[in-house]
Amino acid sequence: MLEGAKSMGAGAATIASAGAAVGIGNVFSSLIHSVARNPSLAKQLFGYAILGFALTEAIASFASMMAFLISSVF
Amino acid sequence: MPNHSSGDVLVAAETLHAESNNTAFLKHQLNDLTINGVDGEAYREALDLAWRVPGPLEQFSILPLIPFNIGDLYFSFTNPSLFMLLTLSLVLLLVHLVTKNGGGNSVPNAWQSLVELIYDFVPNLVNEQIGGLSVNVKQKYFPCISVTFTFSLFRNPQGMIPYSFTVTSHFLITLGLSFSIFIGITIVGFQRNGLHFLSFSLPAGVPLPLAPFLVLLELISYCFRALSLGIRLFANMMAGHSLVKILSGSAWTMLCMNDLLYFIGDLGPLFIVLALTGPELGVAILQAHVSTISICIYLNDATNLHQSGYLFIIEKKRGAKPSLRGEGAITSPRSKKENKKKCTSRS
Repeated sequence: MLEGAKSMGAGAATIASAGAAVGIGNVFSSLIHSVARNPSLAKQLFGYAILGFALTEAIASFASMMAFLISSVF
Repeated sequence: MPNHSSGDVLVAAETLHAESNNTAFLKHQLNDLTINGVDGEAYREALDLAWRVPGPLEQFSILPLIPFNIGDLYFSFTNPSLFMLLTLSLVLLLVHLVTKNGGGNSVPNAWQSLVELIYDFVPNLVNEQIGGLSVNVKQKYFPCISVTFTFSLFRNPQGMIPYSFTVTSHFLITLGLSFSIFIGITIVGFQRNGLHFLSFSLPAGVPLPLAPFLVLLELISYCFRALSLGIRLFANMMAGHSLVKILSGSAWTMLCMNDLLYFIGDLGPLFIVLALTGPELGVAILQAHVSTISICIYLNDATNLHQSGYLFIIEKKRGAKPSLRGEGAITSPRSKKENKKKCTSRS
C-alpha cells in the first residue's frame, strides 16, 4: 500500500515537468521571434535565451528531484 | 535438494570473501549447480551478485576519510573536502603555472588563453549587472564574484568524472555558500545605503493601504533568494547525476539479463547515457554562469536599490541636484548619467 502510494506520488511529481517544457518552449520560441525581427541582435539574444533556459531547467530539475526524494529517501 | 539454510550460504559467502580459494565452499557451490541447475541457490546468488546495482543516490554518500571528532562536533576529513581541495589546488596550479614568468607571455599559449578567457568573462558580467551610477563599484566586488565563478566553474564539471564525488550536489555546501553570500550582500546593502536599504521592501508609488502586504511579500522574496540560489545549483547537479546513474543502472541490468534481445536493447540506454553526458557538462558550466549572474543581480539590488526611478528619489533625499527632476525619473541609469553630463556641460 505504502509502496504503491509512493510510486503514485513520485509519478505525480513528474507532472510538473509539463510546465517546465512549456517554459523552455516559450523561451526558444521567443528567441526565434526576436531573431526574426532583428537578426543583428542574434548573438546577444542567444545569451539571454540560454540564461532563461537554465533558469527554467532548474525548475524542471526540482520536479525530478522531488520524484527521487519520494521514491528513494522516504 | 541439499538442505542448507540461507544463513549457511551467508557463512559460506563470508568465508569466500576472506579466502577466495576455499575449496569446501566452491565444491558446495559446484554440487548445488550440478544438482539443481538454474533453479538452485548458487545460481540465484550469482545472479544477485551480478544484478546488484547501487541505488541512484548512493553516489552522494559522504564518507569520512580521516575520522576526527572534537567532543560531539564532527570535523572529519570527508570525501567532499578531498574533492574540494583537489579542485581548488587544480585551479590554483593552473593560474600559478600560467602566470609564472611575471605574468605570462605576450602571445598566450593555449593554457594562458584558457585562464584569460575565464578571467575576462567575469568583468563583462559584473559591469553589465552592477554598473549602476557609480564607476568604482565594479572594481570593488569583482574579485569576490570572480573567485565564486571560477570555483564553481571547476567544481561542477569535476563531478562528471567517473568515480569522483560531486561536491555541489549537497544542500550543505551550496546552501553554506549561498547563505554566506546572502549575508554579505545584506551587509553591503546596509553599508552603502544606511537605513535607506529598508526602502528596498516597498517599491515606489504604492498606495499606502497595500504597504503592509507588500513589505511582507518583498521581505519573503528577499529572504527566499538565499534559498533559491543554493537549491538551484543543488537540484541541477543532483537530478542530472541521478538521471545518468539510473540510466546506466538500467543498461547494466539489461546487459546481465543473459538474453540476446535484452543484450541488443541494452544499446538504447547506453547511448542515452552517452548523449546525456554532453548536456550534463553544459548544465554544469551553465549553472556556474547562472549562479554568478544571480549573485550579481542580488548585489545590484542591494547596492542600487531597484535602480530605475527609485534611485532618483533616494538621491533627492540625500540632497542631490533637484534640476534633474523633469527628465530622468524613469530612464535607465546610463542615460541618466548622460543627462547629468549634458546638464553640467550646459551650465
